[in-house]
Amino acid sequence: MQFLIYRYDPDDGREPRMQAYELDGFDAGAKLLDALLRIKAELDPSLSFRRSCGEGVCGSDALNINGRNGLACVTSLAELAQPVTIRPLPGQPVIRDLVVDMSQFYHQYRAVKPWLTVHDPAPETEYRQTPAERARLDGLYECILCGCCSTACPSFWWNPDKFRGPAALLQAWRFLADSRDQATAERLAELEGPYRLFRCHSIMNCTDVCPKGLNPTRAIGKIKQLMLKHLV
Amino acid sequence: MSWRAASGLRPWLLQRLSAVYLAAYLLFSVVVWVGGVADFHHWQAWFAQPLVNAASLLFLVALLGHAWVGTRDILMDYVKPVGWRFALLSLFGLAFLISLGLGLRGLLQVGA
Repeated sequence: MQFLIYRYDPDDGREPRMQAYELDGFDAGAKLLDALLRIKAELDPSLSFRRSCGEGVCGSDALNINGRNGLACVTSLAELAQPVTIRPLPGQPVIRDLVVDMSQFYHQYRAVKPWLTVHDPAPETEYRQTPAERARLDGLYECILCGCCSTACPSFWWNPDKFRGPAALLQAWRFLADSRDQATAERLAELEGPYRLFRCHSIMNCTDVCPKGLNPTRAIGKIKQLMLKHLV
Repeated sequence: MSWRAASGLRPWLLQRLSAVYLAAYLLFSVVVWVGGVADFHHWQAWFAQPLVNAASLLFLVALLGHAWVGTRDILMDYVKPVGWRFALLSLFGLAFLISLGLGLRGLLQVGA
């Protein structure tokens, strides 16, 4: 199989380039991460990329694979056209090879205060939710923060410092939708303005690439609806 | 949060609502025009009807409001230098105002 991989080392003074590798003998059902690990072990130990769990749970190995963001560990080699072109996540500063600096992504995530805010005294035993209230969080809590969605979003490319991005907005809605959270007004006020929420033009790149099958565009629409409800 | 402070929600809502009206007006127009507009006098008489005239005025306002929000969105996304953004926003704003003036003049003349 042929691979074309983005290479960049800030220390060697060279421009970023695409490097070709060829490697065969993969098991049926092998994933792209298996190929990257073998390339590193057998062909080029200098190749850098992030990985951890290897089964689509940790979100470390998000890459741009044949022009589309996805997780290397859950992308089957068999379904990829050759040469398999692998680049770092688009729009993020490259630290080295396929490793990007996700600081802006995490900054936007922290900015939506992704934790439960309760003003009442804490209950003595536990916070109670009905099954229906709990069900509202399905499709929201599963996010693994891999960054595939936000780095596939042109609005996030142009305004990564001001637009929260689909991943952070999905989490904003996850806490707005939570029956136990009591900071709805503060959360909505924080998202107001022309940039933080409203740079989303609903082109749905985020929903298209999400490896967990989540729908940030729908969550963003729900936030807009809730804002409207609070005003009228 | 108040309507005054809703600087993100207001333009978004304006664009959504105007889009609904634009679609309805255009559909209505297509039906009428496919039905047949014989000549200029027929056309003039059609726009001179008070309801059609008022609906067309509203269409003009909705169209320009819709276009203004869209243009502003595009310029906010792509034009970073403040001077350029201000110049382009002013240019488009002026062009839209002139369009509004010309459109108003035409419609009011026909309607009068």
